[in-house]
This record gives sequence, C-alpha cells and structure tokens, in this order.
Amino acid sequence: MVFHKRRWLVRRLFFNHEQIRTMSRVKRRTTHPPYWHVLKNNQRTDEKISSDNLRFVQEVIQDKYKNKSPIKGSDLDIEKTEWDPKTKRSGVIARNIGVQHMWEKDGKKVICTVLHVLDNHVIRYVPPEEYAKSVIGAKMFKNRKPLGCLVVGAEASNPERFTRQYCSLFDEVGLLPKKRLARFIVTPNAALPPCTPLTAGHFVIGQAVDVYGKTIDYGFQGVVKRWGFKGGPASHGTTKFHRRGGTIGTGRDKARVWPGQKMPGHMGSERRFNRGLKIVRINMKYNIIYVKGTVPGPTNSIVQIFDTALPRRKFTEAPPHPTYFPPEDGTLPQEDIWDSSLHVFGSPSISV
Amino acid sequence: MLRRAFLQTFRQGLAQSFFKRYAVSLTETTVTHQPIETSDEAGEKSVPTQKTGDESGNTVVVAPPEFRFIYPEFLPDPAMERRNRLREKLERMDMLQRRSVIEIPEFYTGSIMAVTVADANSPNKFAKFVGICIQRGGSGLRAWFILRNVVDKQGVEILYEMYCPLIQKIEVLRLERRLDESLLYLRDALPEYSTFPMDMEPERRLNNSVVPINPLKVKLRPRPWLERWERQNLQGVEDLNLPQRFYDRAEKVAKPWEKYDLMLHYRKTIPAEEQEKIFAEVHSQLQQQELKRKLRRRRGSDNEY
Repeated sequence: MVFHKRRWLVRRLFFNHEQIRTMSRVKRRTTHPPYWHVLKNNQRTDEKISSDNLRFVQEVIQDKYKNKSPIKGSDLDIEKTEWDPKTKRSGVIARNIGVQHMWEKDGKKVICTVLHVLDNHVIRYVPPEEYAKSVIGAKMFKNRKPLGCLVVGAEASNPERFTRQYCSLFDEVGLLPKKRLARFIVTPNAALPPCTPLTAGHFVIGQAVDVYGKTIDYGFQGVVKRWGFKGGPASHGTTKFHRRGGTIGTGRDKARVWPGQKMPGHMGSERRFNRGLKIVRINMKYNIIYVKGTVPGPTNSIVQIFDTALPRRKFTEAPPHPTYFPPEDGTLPQEDIWDSSLHVFGSPSISV
Repeated sequence: MLRRAFLQTFRQGLAQSFFKRYAVSLTETTVTHQPIETSDEAGEKSVPTQKTGDESGNTVVVAPPEFRFIYPEFLPDPAMERRNRLREKLERMDMLQRRSVIEIPEFYTGSIMAVTVADANSPNKFAKFVGICIQRGGSGLRAWFILRNVVDKQGVEILYEMYCPLIQKIEVLRLERRLDESLLYLRDALPEYSTFPMDMEPERRLNNSVVPINPLKVKLRPRPWLERWERQNLQGVEDLNLPQRFYDRAEKVAKPWEKYDLMLHYRKTIPAEEQEKIFAEVHSQLQQQELKRKLRRRRGSDNEY
C-alpha cells in the first residue's frame, strides 16, 4: 500500500488508471526550446580581437542603444480603453528573491514571498487574428474567440552575449536585448504599445495573483522522495530493502506493468501555477511585491505573475488599466504600500 | 591603502573584541548596588566609531567590531542558494523599523531576561516570563531565542521571535555569558540551575565595557539524559563521572579534522568584508535610536525630580 505524504497527492487516493496511462505518455520536460524560437545564446568561443576593435564594437553598441529617457504615459499613444470584468491584462516577469516573515494585525505570522519585478518592457503586441495562426495560438483558440498576445521582455543585458537573430527581435523597439521573454494573453482592449515599461504598480494591494514558475529541480530521485513511498524497515534483519519501491504489479490482472507505474526518475523542473496568492505589500521604489504564500521554484528564479484566473477572486473594481503609469504632475507615489491586514513594522506593538 | 588599513583594523578589532568579551573576571560576577552608569554612556566610551579618511578626504564610517556580537541577527543565513542582497537589505530596513519602536537589548546565552508579550488569554492581557536564555538563532526577522525557567517544579521553555510585534518589552535582568554557546544541558541539570524568581529586578553592572563570563560548572542529574553530553565538549558542566567506555566511544565518533576544514567554516560564516558593509549600513540608524532612547530616559529621570 502506498501512503502519500504530500498534501497535493491526497486527492489521488483513488487512481484513475485511464488518466494516469494517457498522462504518463505526455512529455513534461525538454532541454531545448521550441523549433520556432531563434537561437539565443552566442555559440562562438572567445575570438582574439584587438583592443581597438573591441572598443569599436562597444562604441557601436552604445550608438545603437542610446539611453532613452523614462517614458511618460502621455508619450505613448495608448487608446483610452475602458476596463470591463472580462478584460485580461498583461502579466509581469519577476524574480523570486526569497521569503520574508511578516505578521498580521492579530499577531499571526505570515510567510510572504518577495518578488522583484525586473525591468519589464513590452516588445510587441500580436493582434488576435495573427496570433490564432501561430502554433500555440491555434491550439489555444481552436473553438474559442481568439485573444491578443503581448510579448514582454525582462532583464536587459549585454548584446555581445546573444546571437544577431535574437538581438534583431528587439531592433524595432530599440531596446537592449532582454535575457527573458514571455508571452501574456490579453484582450485587445488591454493591448500596450511597444517599449511600455511594466512595474510593481501594475498590481493592486489585496488582489489575488497567479504565479507561474518551474519547480525546484531535484534531479534523478528515488521512489521515497519522488512519490512518498514508505520503503522498508531500517533494521530487524532487512537485506538491501530500505528505500526501494517493492512490488510493481499483481502478476494476474493485465499481466504486465501498467503505464504510469510510480518508479524512480527525474523529479522537479515542472511548470506549475500557484493560484490565488494575495498581494500584501508593494514597494514602489525597489519594484518589489510581497505575496502571501509560496511560489514554485527556487530562490533567485524567474517567475511570471498574472491577475488571478480564480473566478471568485477576480477584480470587482477597475485596476490600473491597461497598466500603471506614474502621475503626470511629478508627484511621487507612496513608496511602501501595505495591506490593511498586515502589521506595519514602524507602528506600535500589537496589544490584544 | 587607507582602505586596507581600516579593513585590518576591523579584523584586528574583531579578534581583540573577541578576547575582551571572553575575559573571565571572577570579581565582576558579584552584584553590588553602584551609582547608575547607563549602558549607553558606557557604550559610547567602549564602543567608539572608527572614522578613517580615505585619499579624497571623505570620512568613511565603519561600525565597531562588537556589532557582530551585539547584533548577530543582522547577518544573513550563509547558505548561498538562498542569498539575495536586495532582499537582505529590505529585511534589514524592516528590522530597523521594528527596533525604532521597541528596544531589543544586547544579550547572550546565559543572560537572564524578562519578556512581556500581549496575550489575549491573560487576565491583564500581558504575560511576563523571566528565564535564562539557553539558545539563540535565526537571522533577519526570523531571529529567535529560548528562555528557560522552572515554575512550580516544572521546567518551562519558551521560544520568542525577536521581531514579533506581540512582544511589548524585552528586558535583560542580568547580562552575562556562560562558558558554552548553547545551554541545552540545563534540561538535564539539577533544577536549581534553571530556577529564577519571576519578580526578579534588573541588576546593575559594575563595569559596562566588558560582558562578564560566569564560569559556573553545572551539576547534571544522573543518566538517562536527553543528549550524549560527553560527546559535546561542554565547558560549563561538572565532571560527568561516566564509565570509560563512554569516553572511548566519544573519541571514536569524534571529528577532530573539522577544526582544520577551512571551507566548512567559510561556508558557515559571512566573510568579514561583507560583515563590514552590512554593519556600516545599519550603524548610523542604530546609533540614532540609542541616542533617542538615552534622551528619553534622561528626560524621564529629570521629570522625576
């Protein structure tokens, strides 16, 4: 008998062998990007070029990506669109920088994940008709009304690291190439023009978000850690049966090993969404979001944050639509915004 | 050059302060009622800010090396997989915010402390507990310490999180160190070593510059014990009087090579250069908070007259 120690496996006490059989044949991970992506990282080894030529290369880079002034809302030609409850806004690329403990107003401790919103910029907008023709778009909107797609990039870095084809993706916008790209499905009324910056102010305090990340990579793991098997006795004469799986079939029914049989294998590095996480604190100065709960992936990994898909926690009032822009009159926004349920550290001690 | 010079001073200072703090002074363990010498004044005398100038003539403020012992929770967890400079900086800012509201005094394992906590189930809504600090750990906002006392012949240990907002007051009644960093052996010791009166008053210290070390050797109860104390090189415990086979087995199981393992110690600590940066960052704010508290205390004492 297999005992599932992990909470998310408790639901699957009664196996649907059909589902396990079909899902076990699905390839969950690849080490290579999809075939339609351009080659990203520079494959050349260090060439021996003279220091003069090196300086020239750097001058060319500087000329190409001249410093841009911060973009104001009025500069970008955004059509004034209305927000309605069916609008899907853009998401944001962030880095999970760790976990911080905070306390609620009644003294209860809360574990909050700290997400650092990197320098996000919209690269381009793909309108619904065009996106429905792409490989992923066709699958997604097979029998549905198609939606648009915003390509967002984060973490600008040195163009010398990347290939020419990858840098050309950013030529239209004139931005330094970004280390990470992501696509967010948006309704046409939430479309953003290229070069729009996305910051922590894109989200509202108290809203629920879904966070997508790749879980921690545990590598090749045995059956005890991977599936929560109990293994065998540690002593009492047990010969070489401490962390093994034991029997893998009855010998009678079907007379073979069923597909989906739990065995050792690669564990982790899987796409997961943690849904309905509440935003409890936003720091506008450092572009930090504190989210109640934990997020898939190790510390310092990249995650994507979206407005929640859970129907009962969606927006009732209009959020910053299509995104947040600092106020025109130059007044700085409040630097540190806290949710009303949290105890602010500078305030007096709680007395119940 | 001057930068390197003051780096040297910090590290030399670390070593010097380490030995100074561990100075065993038998006379200072006696408590006498002396005229009040506020710890802040003495703190200023004994813990000077070292200001050295670099080539351009700007003063570079360096925190005194004692900060490493007084505020160990400002140093982050050394595990490299979970370190992030930005998050640590934000956590330190929050810690300083909390410290501006409540005074978290200097204490060590072996100090006797009184903690007042807001408690809904208490008759007067506040619960006070006095005990000896047997262990402290954690980094950042997760920093904790355990207080132990024996109440009605029952040993009680409470783990307090230093930055929890339910804590109203942390008071050090007797500031001293013991011969060990962890006093978990008090659980197996005779109860008189863990008993402290609940209405204990704060004791005035003779000499505020040096934290006295109590060279007390504790007597343990007869076996069975909770841990194998003979394997732990405890200094603060009387002779265990065990059969020789225990000590033989302890020798076999011991890892004497660990003290030569440089990488192990490197991985368990934050490098000195980083420590300097961290404490230089928080130093000025901590000093300001100390000054404000001192002024408030002076104004309070003036109002009495």
